[in-house]
Amino acid sequence: MTGAHPAGDTPPSDQKSPTLSRRRLLGVAGATAVGGLAIGASTAAVIATRDDDHPSSGVVVPFRGAHQAGIATPAQDRLLFASYDLSATAERDDVISMLKEWTLAAERMSQGDPVGEPAASEYSPPTDTGEAEGLHPARLTITVGFGPGLFTLDGKDRFGIADRRPAALIDLPSFPRDELDPARCGGDLCVQACGDDPQVLFHAIRNLTRIARGTAVIRWSQEGFGRTSSTTSSQSTPRNLMGFKDGTDNLLSDSAEFASNVWVTGADDPGWMTDGSYLVARRIRILIENWDRSALNDQERTIGRTRDTGAPLTGTAERDVVDLDAKDASGSPVIPVDAHVRLANQDKLGIHILRRGYNFTDGLDPRVGQLDAGLFFLAYQRDPRKQFVPLQTNLAADALNEYIRHVGSAIFAIPPGARAGDWIGQTLFT
Amino acid sequence: MSKMVITGVVVAVTVLAASCGSDKAATAPSDGNVATIEVTLTDGGCDPAEISALSGATTFHVINEDSAAVSEFEVLDGTKILGEVENVTPGLDRSFSLTLKSGSYITQCTGGSKEKGTLEVADAGSGKSADPAARDAAVKNYLTYVASESKLLVAAVAPFADAVKGGDVDKAKSLFAAARYHYESIEPIAESFGDLDPKIDARDGDVPADTWGGFHRIEKALWADDTADGMSKVADQLVADVNTLDGSIAAIVLEPAQIANGAVELLNEVSASKITGEEDRYSHTDLSDFAANVEGADAAFKAVQSLLASSDSTLATTIEGRFKDVDTALAAYKGDDAVGNGYKLYTDLTPENTKGLSTSIDALAEPLSRVAALVLQ
Repeated sequence: MTGAHPAGDTPPSDQKSPTLSRRRLLGVAGATAVGGLAIGASTAAVIATRDDDHPSSGVVVPFRGAHQAGIATPAQDRLLFASYDLSATAERDDVISMLKEWTLAAERMSQGDPVGEPAASEYSPPTDTGEAEGLHPARLTITVGFGPGLFTLDGKDRFGIADRRPAALIDLPSFPRDELDPARCGGDLCVQACGDDPQVLFHAIRNLTRIARGTAVIRWSQEGFGRTSSTTSSQSTPRNLMGFKDGTDNLLSDSAEFASNVWVTGADDPGWMTDGSYLVARRIRILIENWDRSALNDQERTIGRTRDTGAPLTGTAERDVVDLDAKDASGSPVIPVDAHVRLANQDKLGIHILRRGYNFTDGLDPRVGQLDAGLFFLAYQRDPRKQFVPLQTNLAADALNEYIRHVGSAIFAIPPGARAGDWIGQTLFT
Repeated sequence: MSKMVITGVVVAVTVLAASCGSDKAATAPSDGNVATIEVTLTDGGCDPAEISALSGATTFHVINEDSAAVSEFEVLDGTKILGEVENVTPGLDRSFSLTLKSGSYITQCTGGSKEKGTLEVADAGSGKSADPAARDAAVKNYLTYVASESKLLVAAVAPFADAVKGGDVDKAKSLFAAARYHYESIEPIAESFGDLDPKIDARDGDVPADTWGGFHRIEKALWADDTADGMSKVADQLVADVNTLDGSIAAIVLEPAQIANGAVELLNEVSASKITGEEDRYSHTDLSDFAANVEGADAAFKAVQSLLASSDSTLATTIEGRFKDVDTALAAYKGDDAVGNGYKLYTDLTPENTKGLSTSIDALAEPLSRVAALVLQ
């Protein structure tokens, strides 16, 4: 189809739509690529493609729905995550209007449209910053979260919502071996932008940050490449920067256990969080140089899986059961007592979370000349007190700790999605 | 040095004749907003029959209260339909949006006793019928400020140059930031005279080393070399240059939009070099320059503020509030030492301090950048 080339080649001549729309041109391309699937007509949170590992970048993930997009959505290839501080002068109305503007902008950008209507005059700065013009929607999802500081900061109820802070939005406890850098921790708000094109993600965060100016500023941000988990049954398991398949044992969004472990229900407190979730983000640096000089069998005993196939040490294929009771000829456990798969075993603990993390590198650590790289761990769950905290506590004796450092940490309440006409955070502020 | 936006004597902005009708006009679409035009379908035709609007994104909200004869509304360019709504029967209302370009269009309410009406679209950039007297007053106010600052500059540079020429390093150091202050407050004006800004304000490396003079050449001698030796000629030239600048002020012709852009330019100066400590890299008196840039931006904004329409009052309030926020942020770093000209030295600030200042400048500059298009005339 000749119409499937990138937008920008031929401006539409129709005077009714002088604005170049990535959605209109590329929505057609996307629909063609996935076999005539209607774009935007589905009310489901996710448009499935035939093969989630090879998505068409023309596909639009609907922004609106009961839940926010970017959680149950099959994990895209790229991440740009930003944590924001609300400014000391911001007032309740400023936060509300920013969230309203964010909602409209996020909806437009996820459809591949510019962030707003063009400015009325060439003497104005352009409304949209322009760098995503002509690019695919790239399955962009924008997920907004609320940190503890939105409710109370230094004991102060800044926006009159201190009493609406969910009990599950805890201040995360210190975990053994934490080496947290305050500059990479916390935040009053967060935006997780996921998609298949890093320039589309940059555009999204840049424009949301621009809208926020005067109300909120970025506290820290993290770019991620290469999803580190499979989040649907049709996705294959990717490898993390240690070279191992990661995320084999994950909640899959098309599984029966997903909803009850990820979404807050009406039975949970507070009511405004119904259909929301909780996000724990951890910047986990891998001591790449140390890992690279570890013997293969040491690496495999650290993880509890073989590097080649991802099979547990008690099996031959990736999905074989992790047999924690199996003993070798000498009577020792085949999977060592401190292996990562044993201590992080979700079935054994009866705890399940959705891992949706990404590999990252921020180049070289100039202090030591070593690679600053690792896993940006993102976990969605219904209640961090019952899920992330006990899971992480159980990892205190993990053999993997020798090779990793938790250097950043944050927790956010992810409010429910915005239905037509609503805005993200409406249930909290009204 | 940044590229300048203002061109001093050359009027860069084309002024188009405004032709606003007296009929119901659309509210001006400010940045990110869409103007709405309400049209009522009546048996007589479209009401209003003659519509004036400004170019840009426009929503037509079409209402039929009780007309049985008319149920559709069209906007045509000649015979080509740009947009329409149909089946707007009594009791219903429907909307559609267009991005209008300036020009003359036809509206049509088929079935009405008078079917056709007119839609005149003026360019939003130039179509505002601000009172020419108000416009002239705004420019005059700002030029009065510029002239006053220029005189203060000449007056402040003289004793500084004398101290340099007399070899009194400590005294020269204590007068340096104060001498620069009134330059920084009107920097975009000075930059509009292409050769003057490099002579007065170039930093090491901006110009060939053998031609480097001005404030920063002397700054380097005083702080890095701890001497005023060899600086007499540079000081004399600086005095001559600021006098040349002062003598050129009277001939400046400005448009309100240039003044508004100049305000943004001053804040960009803060973001680009003051907040990083690069401007006064030997003396670390950057905060004095910072304060001067902000004062100059405030003066520029206040001059053109009266040209903003009442529909822009929210924007004006936001900008005023954010100027206050910047002043509050800056007030936390007042200092007593003469060298800092009332402010602490840049080296006394933590990264957290500079981040806070930078954030307050960004928060101010964003809404301020929308003013120029709104005061175009």
